[in-house]
Amino acid sequence: MPGLLEIKNLSKSFDATKVINDFSMEVTEGTLCCLVGPNGAGKTTTMDLVTGRIKPTSGAILFAGEDITAKHEHVIARAGIGRKFQVPAVLKNLTVRQNLEVAYSRQTNPFWNLFKFHKAGLKEKLDEIATLAGLTTRLGEQAGILSHGETQWLEIGMVLMQEPRLLLMDEPIAGMTEGEIEKTARIFKDLQKTATLIVVEHDMGFVREIADVVTVMHMGSMLAQGSLQEIEANPRVRDVYLGEKEAA
Amino acid sequence: MGNLYHNKTAQWLVYTAFFLGLAVIPSFVSDDFLLNQLATYGVYGMLALSISLCWGFGGILNLGQGIAFGLGAYGMAMTMQMQSQTESNPIPPFMLNNSLDQLPWFWEPFSNTAAGLILSIAVPTLFCAIFGGVMFRARVSGPFFAIMTLAMLSAFYTIILDRQPYTGGVNGITPPSPLQLGGFEIDPYSSTAYWIVLAILVTATVVAKLITQSSFGLVTQAIRDDAERVRFLGYSVAGYETAIYTISGAIAAFAGCCLVMLVQYVSPAQLDVGFSLSMVIWAAIGGRLSLLGAMCGAFLIQGAQSYLGDAFLATWLLILGGFFIVVVRFLPNGLASLLESALGLLATKPKTPAAETNGDAKPLPAE
Repeated sequence: MPGLLEIKNLSKSFDATKVINDFSMEVTEGTLCCLVGPNGAGKTTTMDLVTGRIKPTSGAILFAGEDITAKHEHVIARAGIGRKFQVPAVLKNLTVRQNLEVAYSRQTNPFWNLFKFHKAGLKEKLDEIATLAGLTTRLGEQAGILSHGETQWLEIGMVLMQEPRLLLMDEPIAGMTEGEIEKTARIFKDLQKTATLIVVEHDMGFVREIADVVTVMHMGSMLAQGSLQEIEANPRVRDVYLGEKEAA
Repeated sequence: MGNLYHNKTAQWLVYTAFFLGLAVIPSFVSDDFLLNQLATYGVYGMLALSISLCWGFGGILNLGQGIAFGLGAYGMAMTMQMQSQTESNPIPPFMLNNSLDQLPWFWEPFSNTAAGLILSIAVPTLFCAIFGGVMFRARVSGPFFAIMTLAMLSAFYTIILDRQPYTGGVNGITPPSPLQLGGFEIDPYSSTAYWIVLAILVTATVVAKLITQSSFGLVTQAIRDDAERVRFLGYSVAGYETAIYTISGAIAAFAGCCLVMLVQYVSPAQLDVGFSLSMVIWAAIGGRLSLLGAMCGAFLIQGAQSYLGDAFLATWLLILGGFFIVVVRFLPNGLASLLESALGLLATKPKTPAAETNGDAKPLPAE
């Protein structure tokens, strides 16, 4: 069975610099894949390529069997890929409630939305997500005044409002407390029942807790892929990544 | 209870009261000339409304609103001009003076009043849809889009000025008689004309207000905040930007038609850069985030210009400039934000946990 997301021989160069170099990976539906690698390995660039923010120099990206290479961002999002950014990106001048409401993007056509004042199912979904993200008392606040941790939660909440089939989470636990990290891990495990996740993360403790599959990137290529045990046993990975970590 | 300023019911009540106030004016004003002048303020109100919608809610700074306004105005002037042409005298006099012996093809449809009126709105609206579509698809935004609108405005101004045989050039078009509509003549100095303008202003305001409260309005406000982020939620940003820019242009086109109905005159001055800039200044001073605030800004500035402008002459521009600087520096969201803050002080703190109420966090509002 082919994976939900297939990346085939992807390359991306900025001028003469090859940022992604013949990178291929496959993510099976229902798994939680952690994408790890040292800074500059090309993790976030891969996310940018998958979500259409930048166009690849060569290679192909298939989502659910469909070619989404170089499609527009909103087309890819509608196909069912949700993304949380490394630097949490929320709509700072809107309220928390409005942020979640915008993210509930069942109807995206501007003309139909002109006549839409009430979204079916929004209230239930919003209550559910707000409770999950611990933001029920903050719904009326402007998103710009939230703390860093709350902003992270809001953006995770926004991605969940989209109900995507594939969630890309770029460093979701940065700035979170121990308790929040545990909660995030629980939520991710829960999400896995209905969706597929790719999580970019530096924190190996968190990776150990959540990952089914770990993909290690180095210099824009895949270094290794497998279960966490396999990865930790891999001498090349120890050299470029885990070794540095332990030494630090 | 939260800030009354953000209460939708209260907003609709204020809008209703405001327009009822405007509707009774003709019963108090017996001076026809003054009534006509007050009606032209309705035109300025529509323009400020269109800027507030596009810039305040859509985040698209448009320095070329004169394009839609001017095209609408020329369309109306052409319609009214053709109403006074007869079988024996089919060509407007200014064309004969410019040695044209045949009516240009694009003037033909304006011989029919209904077709002329439809074209007066349809042409500027279509222009906005195409120009906006091309620009926003190419992700031209912010100051770059503002510059493009400015350049486009200057281009239109120059073309109209230059093509004297077809447009009347610098003299413009002066239709000899008022607009005839369904057998009636609409005297620009009558209360009928005033009410027509007011009815269009009310309709435009209600439509604009509903748009801001719809799902569409929420998405445009999200785009104003962070267009990049909104794309990843599945919305076509270019589609939304084109739509709000086009709706705003259509309102400006209506304003152009109304102006010519009231003054029986159009000239390239309607496409003057300075006039388009002043529309933005009205909205900025009144409060671009509030439709009503922007309209009041237009009334305030134009009113002051009419009365104080005569008294201060050239100094008036300095006063206006100074006032603009003060507002932008100290009240970036315009005079309407004064009311917002005042009502914020009156608002009782919500009953939800006391810890959440610290600070006077105000969402950048839908009004």
